[in-house]
Amino acid sequence: MSRLLRRLHGNGSDTDGALAVPGRALLWLIGAFWVLLLPQWDRLPVWLLTTCVLLAGWRWLSQLGRIRLPGRVVRTLIMVALIATYLVTVNGHFTVDTAASFFVIAVALKWLETRSERDYYVLFFILTYLATVNFLFEQGIFWTLLNLAGVLMLLIGLQVLNAPELPHAFALGWRRLGGMFLKSLPIVVLLFLFFPRLEPLWSVPLVSGAAKTGISDSMAPGDISSLAQSSERAFRVSFGGGIPASADRYWRGLILDRFEGERWSQHQRTPVRPPGRVLSDGGVGELQPGEYDVLLDPTGQRWAFALDNSTAVSDNVEAADWGLFHFRRPADTPVRYRLARTSAVPNVSALSETMERRFLQLPPTGNPRARALARELQRQSASSGELVETLLARFRDNPYYYTLRPPVMPENGVDTLLFDAMRGFCAHYAGATTFVLRAAGVPARVVVGYQGGELGAGGDYLIVRQYDAHAWVEAWLPETGWTRIDPTAAIAPSRIQSGLREAVAEEGSFLENNWASPQRYGNLALLQWASLQLDKVNYQWQRWVVGYQGQSQMDLMSRLPGNIGLKDLGYITAGLVAVVLLVIGLVAAWRQRSLLAQDSVMRLLVRWRRELGRAGIPLEEGQTPLQIAERVAHHAPQAGALARSFAQTLNNHYYGGLSPDKPGRRRQTLMRLRRLLVSHKKALKHPGSTKTQG
Amino acid sequence: MAHSNRSNEVGIPVQWIGQRWRGWVDRRIPRSDAQQFMQRNIFILPTAMGLVFGLLLVVMLLTGINYQNSLIYLMTFLLGVVFVAAMHQTHKNLSGLKLTLVQVGDGHVGERIPFVFRGAADASDAIAIRLSLPESGATLSHVLAHETADLVLMTKGERRGYLLPERVRVETRFPFGLLKAWSWIRPVSAAIVYPKPITPPEGHWLTADDAESSDASVSVAGQDQAEFRPWRQGDLSQRVQWKRYARSGEMVIADWEGEQGSPSWLDFEAFPGVDLELRLSYLVAQVMERSKAQDSFGLRLPGIRIEPDCGPAHTASCLRELAVFGLPTTQWMGSKSRDNAL
Repeated sequence: MSRLLRRLHGNGSDTDGALAVPGRALLWLIGAFWVLLLPQWDRLPVWLLTTCVLLAGWRWLSQLGRIRLPGRVVRTLIMVALIATYLVTVNGHFTVDTAASFFVIAVALKWLETRSERDYYVLFFILTYLATVNFLFEQGIFWTLLNLAGVLMLLIGLQVLNAPELPHAFALGWRRLGGMFLKSLPIVVLLFLFFPRLEPLWSVPLVSGAAKTGISDSMAPGDISSLAQSSERAFRVSFGGGIPASADRYWRGLILDRFEGERWSQHQRTPVRPPGRVLSDGGVGELQPGEYDVLLDPTGQRWAFALDNSTAVSDNVEAADWGLFHFRRPADTPVRYRLARTSAVPNVSALSETMERRFLQLPPTGNPRARALARELQRQSASSGELVETLLARFRDNPYYYTLRPPVMPENGVDTLLFDAMRGFCAHYAGATTFVLRAAGVPARVVVGYQGGELGAGGDYLIVRQYDAHAWVEAWLPETGWTRIDPTAAIAPSRIQSGLREAVAEEGSFLENNWASPQRYGNLALLQWASLQLDKVNYQWQRWVVGYQGQSQMDLMSRLPGNIGLKDLGYITAGLVAVVLLVIGLVAAWRQRSLLAQDSVMRLLVRWRRELGRAGIPLEEGQTPLQIAERVAHHAPQAGALARSFAQTLNNHYYGGLSPDKPGRRRQTLMRLRRLLVSHKKALKHPGSTKTQG
Repeated sequence: MAHSNRSNEVGIPVQWIGQRWRGWVDRRIPRSDAQQFMQRNIFILPTAMGLVFGLLLVVMLLTGINYQNSLIYLMTFLLGVVFVAAMHQTHKNLSGLKLTLVQVGDGHVGERIPFVFRGAADASDAIAIRLSLPESGATLSHVLAHETADLVLMTKGERRGYLLPERVRVETRFPFGLLKAWSWIRPVSAAIVYPKPITPPEGHWLTADDAESSDASVSVAGQDQAEFRPWRQGDLSQRVQWKRYARSGEMVIADWEGEQGSPSWLDFEAFPGVDLELRLSYLVAQVMERSKAQDSFGLRLPGIRIEPDCGPAHTASCLRELAVFGLPTTQWMGSKSRDNAL
């Protein structure tokens, strides 16, 4: 027996060789890695993703024994190569984005070194933090679930690591973890609600420095038509009171007032500021009539989108010139902000000379025919307003086309558009209109932003997508101040009334390059419905869960009875933790009591020994029941038989191999032992022979 | 017993605290071959990895605060609560388990000697239970709910005599390895470690053993003097008189065991001038040699005499006497421990 055991165990310890990590645990880890990499897929460079596949595959093959893990030299070479590539691609721009890819590189390299349990834990920690970082990029409900699934897989991996040969570890693991999660869920929810949301402790780098789809701070004629191919969401808006009519939904983003022959840009760029602390206050409480909440998807830019004549309500936006708004920190994560519309008060104080010069700026040469047209218009019209009307009438009455497939207009683009091609997108017409107005002496500027938007599921909020991007014109009229002029509305009224889809329906060019977008298939009602429902779930998630921060927590607390402040929240949280620990302690104590009650057989044994002690029969530590019985038989023969059968019953109970927890069996044994003990006690008390009390 | 050589260079307060701690633990966990683990005797602390995990949670919370990211808060809380739940789970894993020492192994000095414990779980599983001694490695076993399983602790026999581990550490880190719950079992039954067998150099030893063995060889050679009796269960097949069996079909045994003077004696006095331990090693080698050859032999030690016999039980009792020769009975018997369960 001992030999056999020795051999078995000798072998057992020999196999603890180079790869001490159990294969299944490793598989879970690799799986979790892939799941947690998914939210990063569009952010990570292809070479990095490929490297991850290869290195994780290498590790797995070596687990199977197909190939060996690389030696120190090869490992160092791989490391140097990867880090060099990384440094070249990052090129000094440090953001969370680049930090995340460094993270991924670290994990990828670690695969080649995962030999011991400790390495496994290192990977576990890195991957858990990767899940955390993922939340900075993606906060949609499905990404959240995916991330949580990844973390769950990591935990399962740990379970497997700690109990490698457990049968049915899979099922047991899921059930145990599932139970654990379910039990802890209410506490997590309470903590989430009550944990005091602190102000950011220090300022942190931008999440992403990469360019995002969206409007940019300069505009060449083709720019916006390329945006029109994207159905990505730009922002969503909830309104206090009614949703304004489609023709009024001009979301002003920024003003382009400088023309350099082809491209419109900003005279004064939006001032760049080092990113400060994250300000999460997006306005709290019910939306008042006229107020509206915008939930902007990350743009990485500082400009906010607002309707005409708005004022800032929430703290995270500040008013800039000409009714525009800027964020205090670039929108690197989804940002919610609140604005309110005010009744329009026309600002008709005359333009200063500097301003007038700025809004009349044109390059000295180029587009001679457009300039001639401007001069003619100027001659015909008595006022600026009349001039504008004449120009719009020209667009309305002549065969100008609104198209997503405009011809290329390389030189004198304004002339080509107005007199030859007569086909263009909003950016073309806005640029040309501004040009003509300026040439005619009317101060004018291009405004870029979005126009329109689609109603979300339930019709209570608005979804604005990238293809709603729009450019229009504002002209200074002495009577009304800055006035919106939209040449697109004159050429293709359906674009303004019902959106791009309708406007280009005849052409069939709506999202023609974007076959994967559900918006492309407007005629599939079910698909549209599903897509909108998904968006609604996500919108609610973003507003109420993701947006549950500082002010909104205070707002919720102010609705609860009692005046709960930040400090009280701290106390509540501490109390909550204390209560949970207390409950766990009580449960454990209760279990112990039931354990003690359960082992009544053990208590009978203790009672037996006590009685024997009282009867003066000497006992030694560690004697087995049978040995004790023999001693009883020696000192008190009249009780010997009883003692032996008591001991035998005990032995059967403990070593009999029968399941000790079968209740019927247990009860029987207990009864028998009790009976024996009583008779035994009697026998001890009434000695039938002389040989007692030795 | 064997590990009194605890680091002496440690400062006195540390040593004192260590002693007090051990004393306290010993009072909580009396010597017994059976031990039920419950709240009273289970200790639980985070592992090094658990501490790192705690640090990670702090970093995550800071990230959540600085980026004002609710979902990071959410995940921090979730993992924090999972950590607390794991504490409960780890504790529950060990709690309710009952260990009983069912078999104590034997072996020679330098060999690994098994202690077999039977683990019985209550309604909850006891997974990844690790039995270990300070000086020997750990084994990992599982006892599923309502079941029993044998857990084997291998320990190395350092010197001959009784081998009684001071404290066997019973530990679990399941499910995540972030926390460890542990207790001890302090068995009463000792294993026996036999001296290492060393074959004595040939020819030097002229003793009574030789005188008697010449006598014995005569009697074995002359089979006529042997007593014959019918075959009984347990008799060695070499002793069966096969020729007679071929003739008559009777299984008859030539029983020379009971004869006076025939068996060979192994004698402590046979190696004059040799060190005690070496002598015992010589005798062990001889016992094993005889036992392997299935010879009959007796053993004479000062004050001890084992009559000639053969068979495994006889061999074991001879080895046992050699192992504990000159040693006091197990040491724990002198110590003042409280009344035990079994």
